[in-house]
Amino acid sequence: MIPALETRDLSKHFGALYVTQDVSLRLEPGARHALIGPNGAGKTTLINLISGALSANRGSVLLGGDDITAQSQAGRVKRGLARTFQINQLFRDLTVVENVTMPILERSGIGRNIWRRASTFSHVLDEAMALLSQLHLHGDALTPVRELPYGRQRLVEIAITLGLKPSVLLLDEPAAGVPSAESHIILDVIAALPEDIAILIIEHDMEIVFQFAKSISVLVAGNVLVEGTPEEIAENQEVRAVYLGVEADG
Amino acid sequence: MTDTPSDSGFTPDARLYFRAREGWRWAEALPWIVAIAAFFVFPDYMALGTQILIAIIFALSLDLILGYAGIVTLGHAAYFGAGAYATGMLSAHLGWGEPISAMLFGGLVGAALGFLSGWVLLRYHGLTLLMLTLATAILLMEGANAAEYWTGGFDGLVGISIWPLFNHFEYDLWGHTYYWYALAVLFCCFLVARRIVHSSFGRSLVGIKGNVNRMHAIGTPVHGKLVKIYTISAGMAGIAGGLFAESNAYVTLDVMSFARSGTVLIMLVLGGTGRLYGAFLGTVVYLVLEDELAKLSPEFWEFGIGLLLVVVVLFMRGGMLGALDDLVAWARGKGKP
Amino acid sequence: MEQFAKAAISILFDGVAYAMLLFIISVGLSITMGLMGFANLAHGAFAMLGGYVMVSLMLKAGVPFLLALVLAAIIVALISVPFERYLYRRLYKAGELDQVLLSIGLVFMATATITFFFGPSTVSISVPEFLKGQVNLGFGIFPAYRTFTIAVGLVMIVALWYGFERTITGAKIRAAVDNRRMAQSIGIDVDRLFVITFAFGSGLAALGGGLAIEILGMSPTFALTYLVFFLIVVAVGGLGSIRGAFVAALVLGIIDTAGKYLWPDGGAFFIYAVTIGILLIKPEGLFGKA
Repeated sequence: MIPALETRDLSKHFGALYVTQDVSLRLEPGARHALIGPNGAGKTTLINLISGALSANRGSVLLGGDDITAQSQAGRVKRGLARTFQINQLFRDLTVVENVTMPILERSGIGRNIWRRASTFSHVLDEAMALLSQLHLHGDALTPVRELPYGRQRLVEIAITLGLKPSVLLLDEPAAGVPSAESHIILDVIAALPEDIAILIIEHDMEIVFQFAKSISVLVAGNVLVEGTPEEIAENQEVRAVYLGVEADG
Repeated sequence: MTDTPSDSGFTPDARLYFRAREGWRWAEALPWIVAIAAFFVFPDYMALGTQILIAIIFALSLDLILGYAGIVTLGHAAYFGAGAYATGMLSAHLGWGEPISAMLFGGLVGAALGFLSGWVLLRYHGLTLLMLTLATAILLMEGANAAEYWTGGFDGLVGISIWPLFNHFEYDLWGHTYYWYALAVLFCCFLVARRIVHSSFGRSLVGIKGNVNRMHAIGTPVHGKLVKIYTISAGMAGIAGGLFAESNAYVTLDVMSFARSGTVLIMLVLGGTGRLYGAFLGTVVYLVLEDELAKLSPEFWEFGIGLLLVVVVLFMRGGMLGALDDLVAWARGKGKP
Repeated sequence: MEQFAKAAISILFDGVAYAMLLFIISVGLSITMGLMGFANLAHGAFAMLGGYVMVSLMLKAGVPFLLALVLAAIIVALISVPFERYLYRRLYKAGELDQVLLSIGLVFMATATITFFFGPSTVSISVPEFLKGQVNLGFGIFPAYRTFTIAVGLVMIVALWYGFERTITGAKIRAAVDNRRMAQSIGIDVDRLFVITFAFGSGLAALGGGLAIEILGMSPTFALTYLVFFLIVVAVGGLGSIRGAFVAALVLGIIDTAGKYLWPDGGAFFIYAVTIGILLIKPEGLFGKA
């Protein structure tokens, strides 16, 4: 099967500091893959390299078998790659429904239309509302994002990426900053995502990782230390030493 | 509104909300009524009135990029000036004085310059962009100064002679013809601007202003969109410049000066950015106050406008229209039990 | 040929003197912009204030030139403190637009106030005897006042270098320019540092303003007329870089002076073209941090 997303020997360094070194990952269509590792392991950098926010020094990124290493961020999005941010990147002064229409406008190319009134594209609004219902956000549709509690803002963050109808979704700590009592809401939402989307998730909350992921890569100092099923990772002594051990102590 | 609306019952709400925002409000007739009434109430002030209308077009063009796309520039007079010189030189050197086409030519030159400079400049942001726009405008002014043969240099471009409008309406001493002419042009520019900001393209500009990182991440060609609106804005500034050249029959280097770039920014911010009508209110208040106060005491005027700027920045972030909104919201809040 | 060399040296000397003025005034702006990230278009107003304080001291109170120069710098530095405390501080986290508008507003108010008290025309002072006429430097005979200006500029750059590289406060400022959050986390009182730096930068501007009376002339439009030049020095040199401000001031001062002699119509055009070129290639300036 052609993998939905693949990286080959992806490397990035700032001066002499290697933040990503020869990372090779493979996500099948519909994969649920988690990327874990201690702080500073280079997880977000890897997401930035895959999404094209940063350009790699070496290696390649393949989407559905096509090499997209030379593509811009926008080009990669057009091919079905979407990401969320660890810290919310929302349109804080706009309403929730407007936040969600942005990606739909861009995906469909309607965002280029300079003359027709935005409200007359009713299918865009319908799609946005349907998406909000799916994430149980429809009650807040007309609320400015800045007035929402942080946990619900995290959902808007996910809703925006879903508006792109991605085939591969990169989730950068979706539950970050959300009170642990509410993190199950986020988990419920990502567990209910369409099965055909391949998902790469970075998460510190081990509960979420082990409930959600079908495979896990452990990243340490820019290198993939080990890869395997959740059971294998949980059993792995090396991982326990460098990562889970740290967690347990902290 | 209920707290738990059914899924299906909610969609029309969003549509209504969008439509309501784009729809015309009664209050929007107000500036036009005032403009028409002004003609009959102050017929002796129509020369000033024409300059105000031209300045509104210029401020409106700035609002498109500053208020909607978040581009901060200290050099917008470059395009106003380019339009003014283009229109003026068309008449002074080539003898073409048909007012509408000459003005549109000014707009075209402004747009072309906006496209070329925007393509390069809009890759930068923050202080660098500020410096680059500032330096570009002054560079252009120094270029116009050096190209004395074409522009008249420091002494200004003379010999502009504009034909009667529609071959019929002569330029008159009281500026009545030009007042109506400028008002018509302003109305057209306003309709275009209003259409653009409420289009899907306009919405994505607001997105770029709100969070450019996110726009990149959802695949928006940010640079292309910024260049597009910058070009439109520069074209509109060029039209304002063309009108300026026609109504004064004289162009000096001052049209591209830093002072003019700064003044239009101040006018817009005083009125309120990102709401189109801020350009109207800010410009009228600024120019009328200047006309009245500067006659009494130039220092008093300058001090006053400086103080006003400080006050607006510290306490009235939305300008005068923003303050008005706050006031209305406050009054409504008080009215409720 | 000898004629030509003499003219060239004379132009170069004038250019360097002008450059020193630009440097003394702009370096404070560079440091404050680098440290606080504030686009302070009112920096020239503090220079202008320095000039007028000096004029008042000399004409109204009979203070001698050198003492008046030093006093002007100190007085303006003190005056600038409440501005930082109560106005600028509120906008450190705001966008450039708000900063630009606030500081432009201050320039207008300063210009109007100065016009009100001193009138719109250029003011002048009488410099002491030893700064009048010419002085023989061994390799040529030069105007004494410009020689003095260059000497002050050189002293300032050495003093600044020493202060920045060799004192604790300088080290703190460098640390805060580099990474404010880090500086804060290791216990540097950044708020206090901001006041000190701002006052110091304004005082330097005032010193430059005082020196400029004789060379550039001093009128209420000074703050706005030279604003663009100060900004160019800062932007081209790189925010927060003393070395950058020095190099940029030198280049700008010499090119501008030479241009006025050699190519009166197009000299300024050349300066802006160079400025744009440098910023396009190096947006962070010649010596700025990337």
